[in-house]
Amino acid sequence: MTQAIQSAPVGHYRVTNVVKSEVLKVLTLRSTAITVGLTVVAGLLVTGLVANGQLHKFPGYYQGFDPTQNSLVGLIVAGLTGGVFGALLITGEYSSGTIRASMAATPKRPILLTAKIGVAAVAITAFCELLSFAAFFLGQAILSGGGAPSASLGSPGALRAVVMTGVFIALMALMSFGFGLMLRSTAAAIAAFVGVVFVLPLVMHGISEPDLRYVPTNILTNSIMSTVNQQGPGPGQGGVLQPLSPGIGLLLMAMYAAIALAVGGALFLRRDA
Amino acid sequence: MITAHSLTKRYGASTAVDNLTFEVPPGMVTGFLGPNGSGKSTTMRMIMGLDYPDSGSTLIGGKPYPELTWPLREVGGLLEAKAFHPARTARNHLRWMALTNDIPLRRVDEVLDQVGLSSVANRRAGKFSLGMGQRLGIAATLLGDPGVLLFDEPVNGLDPEGIRWVRHFLRGLAAEGRTVFVSSHLISEMAMTADRLVVIGRGRLIAETSVSDFVARSGGGTVKLVTPDLVAFTSALTAIGGNVSDGDGGSLTVEGLTSPQIGEVAAQGGLRIYELTPIIASLEDAFMELTQDEVEYRPSTMAGAAAAGAKER
Repeated sequence: MTQAIQSAPVGHYRVTNVVKSEVLKVLTLRSTAITVGLTVVAGLLVTGLVANGQLHKFPGYYQGFDPTQNSLVGLIVAGLTGGVFGALLITGEYSSGTIRASMAATPKRPILLTAKIGVAAVAITAFCELLSFAAFFLGQAILSGGGAPSASLGSPGALRAVVMTGVFIALMALMSFGFGLMLRSTAAAIAAFVGVVFVLPLVMHGISEPDLRYVPTNILTNSIMSTVNQQGPGPGQGGVLQPLSPGIGLLLMAMYAAIALAVGGALFLRRDA
Repeated sequence: MITAHSLTKRYGASTAVDNLTFEVPPGMVTGFLGPNGSGKSTTMRMIMGLDYPDSGSTLIGGKPYPELTWPLREVGGLLEAKAFHPARTARNHLRWMALTNDIPLRRVDEVLDQVGLSSVANRRAGKFSLGMGQRLGIAATLLGDPGVLLFDEPVNGLDPEGIRWVRHFLRGLAAEGRTVFVSSHLISEMAMTADRLVVIGRGRLIAETSVSDFVARSGGGTVKLVTPDLVAFTSALTAIGGNVSDGDGGSLTVEGLTSPQIGEVAAQGGLRIYELTPIIASLEDAFMELTQDEVEYRPSTMAGAAAAGAKER
């Protein structure tokens, strides 16, 4: 029995203790490296392919061409792997039993939850911003190298689109984290995420097309990534409504994520471990 | 010291833990004994603040678990065989735990050494055998050098060497003055490890007593006698009040007489004894006897058993 440890520090454990621990947890998982690596590779690969596909077209093709959106649209794939990463952060703890060890180490659940969501939010957002800028620069380099119209961060709306794309994908991953908190199973959380983000739009296409503009993937491509307004205000041709403004779109996604996290968080606090 | 007071937990219509009251004192190993599904794990999870009771409370050193200022420095718990992420190394598993409670990171290597896992500290824990995983779980409980330790079925799936190691380890912790609470459905294991027992069946308290009292309470005290003079012995022993029945292979089972008394009878009657073995009722017998009657236990009798346990302390 070592005596040194017997003298516990004054006070009690705080959210900072848990934050340090959660950071270490994220950094020491192989799934972090795999999902992060996959997100980078898939995101940039699709970005490169999309940009490359826009080269050497007839001049009229570039009428209304949006080079910023073009360089970012490949990140839809990153939205998928990001969602998997977000869910795994929490469901991995449930499937392995680590969550019980966490709750035993820091039984005040609001503190544990705050640290978990905080670390996930900061890490995911920072990563998604880096990825978004990387995609933009890669895309523009390919477009300008191939003689197609290209943009710079100084182009109207470009910086806004790049920054918001990073935040938006991070919010999608956090929504998935919320599903993970609710469902506690990796398979179920990923299924819910894919269902909401990728399957729901297909279904809605058939039943209520105007409402498609409230669906995350549509907000992302039409409101967030876009820097040109193709249509005037009000209902456009064929009854298709104009996309939401970038600000409203981002706010809506933040609300989706907040609802998922709030419901998941409430269950996390109330439920048996 | 762990205390549970009127602890009750229901899952839908079934009651997993039913008005359970007991104490786990420091300085000894207290066994938590009951058949599978009797509510041992649920009780331990409630003590650790993982599951919420429907009514009643549990305290550790007078405080509910969530009120502990540095939980890992006060309580160590091994509640499931593999409560670690398979992709994380043993050392990293202990490091994140240490960070939560501001425990110096040198403790990580100390406890790994203590359980004999130093050489595999940087291997992913998912590759560990059951025994190694169990050792890692035990290392985690020791991280904060806590005064209270809980182990749920710690020897499950271990080989004989591992079982011996755990047994020795638990006794060592208790000898250092710590509170050690160990659940098991293996009665023989508890007989060797525990000083005291909290016995439950279907979530209800059956007995809270010392191991020796628990065994004594179930009666016992029979003697096995192997002899060629079966008929003569039977009549002679019955004559002085013995209750004799035929055992297997030319032996007799004698109740109500001691070995010396039987020896005297043999000497006086010139009867031959090949073997004379006192059969002490095993903990298992006592357990089976008590749990078989379990359904007949009424709340009042349970309170009686609890009170009897309290007096013995």
